[in-house]
Amino acid sequence: MRKLLFFSALALVFGAGCSAKSDVVRLAVAVPLTGDIGTEGQGIRRAVELAVEEANALKKFPFKIEVRAFDDRADPKEAVSVANIIVSDPAVLAVIGHYNSGCSIPASQVYARAGIPMISPSSTNPKLTQQQLEPNWTLPRSVFRVVPTDDVQGSFAADFIIEKLKMKKFCIVHDKTPYGQGLAEQFRDRFLSRDGVMLSFDGIATGDRDFKALLTRLKSLKPEGIYFGGLYMEFGLMVKQSKELNFKAVFFSGDGSKTNELFKVAAQAAEGAYLSITGIPVEHLASAKSFLDKYHAKFSGMDVKPFDHFGYEAANIALDALSKAGPDRAKLLDELRGTRYEGILGMTEFDDKGDTKNKIITMTRVKNGAFEIVN
Amino acid sequence: MFFQQLVNGLVLGSIYALIALGYTLVYGILMMINFAHSDILMLGAFIGLGASALVSSWGGEWAAIAVAFLAAMAGAGLVGVLVERFAYRPLRKAMRLAPLISAIGVSIMISNGVFLWISNQSIPYPHFISDRNFVLGSVEISHLQAAIVATALLLMTLLHVVIQYTKMGKAMRACAEDIPTAGLMGIDGDRIIAFTFLVGGALAGAAGVLNGLYYGSIKYNLGFLPGVKAFTAAVLGGIGNIAGAVLGGFVLGILEVMAAGYLPDGNQWKDVIAFVVLIGVLLVRPSGLLGERVAEKV
Repeated sequence: MRKLLFFSALALVFGAGCSAKSDVVRLAVAVPLTGDIGTEGQGIRRAVELAVEEANALKKFPFKIEVRAFDDRADPKEAVSVANIIVSDPAVLAVIGHYNSGCSIPASQVYARAGIPMISPSSTNPKLTQQQLEPNWTLPRSVFRVVPTDDVQGSFAADFIIEKLKMKKFCIVHDKTPYGQGLAEQFRDRFLSRDGVMLSFDGIATGDRDFKALLTRLKSLKPEGIYFGGLYMEFGLMVKQSKELNFKAVFFSGDGSKTNELFKVAAQAAEGAYLSITGIPVEHLASAKSFLDKYHAKFSGMDVKPFDHFGYEAANIALDALSKAGPDRAKLLDELRGTRYEGILGMTEFDDKGDTKNKIITMTRVKNGAFEIVN
Repeated sequence: MFFQQLVNGLVLGSIYALIALGYTLVYGILMMINFAHSDILMLGAFIGLGASALVSSWGGEWAAIAVAFLAAMAGAGLVGVLVERFAYRPLRKAMRLAPLISAIGVSIMISNGVFLWISNQSIPYPHFISDRNFVLGSVEISHLQAAIVATALLLMTLLHVVIQYTKMGKAMRACAEDIPTAGLMGIDGDRIIAFTFLVGGALAGAAGVLNGLYYGSIKYNLGFLPGVKAFTAAVLGGIGNIAGAVLGGFVLGILEVMAAGYLPDGNQWKDVIAFVVLIGVLLVRPSGLLGERVAEKV
């Protein structure tokens, strides 16, 4: 099955490669389209398609722009093989992706080797851009992202807990992925430096469904809260199983768990959980109103997923740079470094690592099956 | 805390044991590993959900849960029989690897079929049983946990009665000893094998519904992990041996929970620990805790 997919994708690329002319330029979207978090990736793809459709309609370019979506299945190995397919298509000028930090980090090296700019709408592990500052990094710095990183998000959550909630005793759990563990470690470092007490620090396996044993142990440590670095599936199961154990600690997690899918897994047990997110929720962004209207008009009946507006912004930043630099990977890369783009997220500028200077975090709390802003 | 962990382990173990029975029943008669078993389990969970959704619009909660179990057991049992009829029986006389590959193929077909035609996302399972807990000292036992252990034990007892005290069970035991000789006594081997798959599939279907109820959501790949664990449990107890499968299930469930609950960093290491114990047991007792060949295995 996997092989078959790979070959058919290869055939597509070669087939397309032959017919690629200078009048078509491609934007690749590399995100998970299937699996647990496939819905999140499909949302990003829709947002990028919307941005490109608008650009084509405005006829800003002397060529046609196409979106080509690739499924990395949230799997780092798959992400690298998808990245290799993408860079082999000369018509691809920029990549929007990947979703998971664990995929973005290895794939970014493939893009850097080919000199293709990559803008991640959602990967928040600091390492993704930091790696480009290592002395042994000899490739061009081609990674950008429009989301604030986990050090910002983890620290924000720690400060919020210490200052606003006045809680001191925490257990920390993570899912051993670069995103989850990274976020948990950033939280831990800030929390300890602010005199928080960490009672335990545990890893779980993604895909595991039974956390009762771990939760029973955590319950005996009597924490006031649990901070979890990871995605909604495991977070939802942990929240649900805690309730079954009558374990009343308050649960906290980051942007990876803040999606309506959480309610499918945890149902009512999610009430009272805190989730930090990068940026401001799209429905509270005045600047995003027209984006939402267009999104709902084009994709009626589809929910806007948490990273869709980041995907839209990333695509627009790429298109804006493209309109100035023309269809050339190296020129586009130079243009992106000096980006000053006023979009739905506000002003986006990149620092020398490629991280956005726009670092807003919002804390939300689940109330009546919805996320309520609390800061 | 110890007793709470014991409860967690018993619940996990009873689900493992129920699934392990399916592996061991088939192995007992055909000496083959039915790798499609874990996907039949998943299918059972989906059938149960579908059936209960149909009923819950007009019936009460209890009607819905009863229908979910009955439909899942009937549906999964039927799938088990069909799989045997079309994927295993034609290969029964082929070399040993052929039915094994066929089983893997069926497993992929079922899980991808659900993935493509039904859903590739998690689907919430209804809350049939209240969230309330029994509290015994510091131990919290949810009604659901109690119901899971009770259902599993009930089904195991039922299986024991069928195998030990019915004519069909006697025929199954005879086939497990020797199919050609049983045939000489007038026992239709094909029928008995089909019946074995029916029983194994039905148990998997029930385990699927229990799994869905316990974790609150189901997905096309939910069978994989419990399938691997239950297969391990069957080997641990002695594959082909019914009491062994039950014992293996409980041992594995409790072992995992205790490893996660007591060892530092245990949650990350619980699977490693469980398998280290498995290897250790097999080194000392290659045929499992209770042994593979006992007088009346099945």
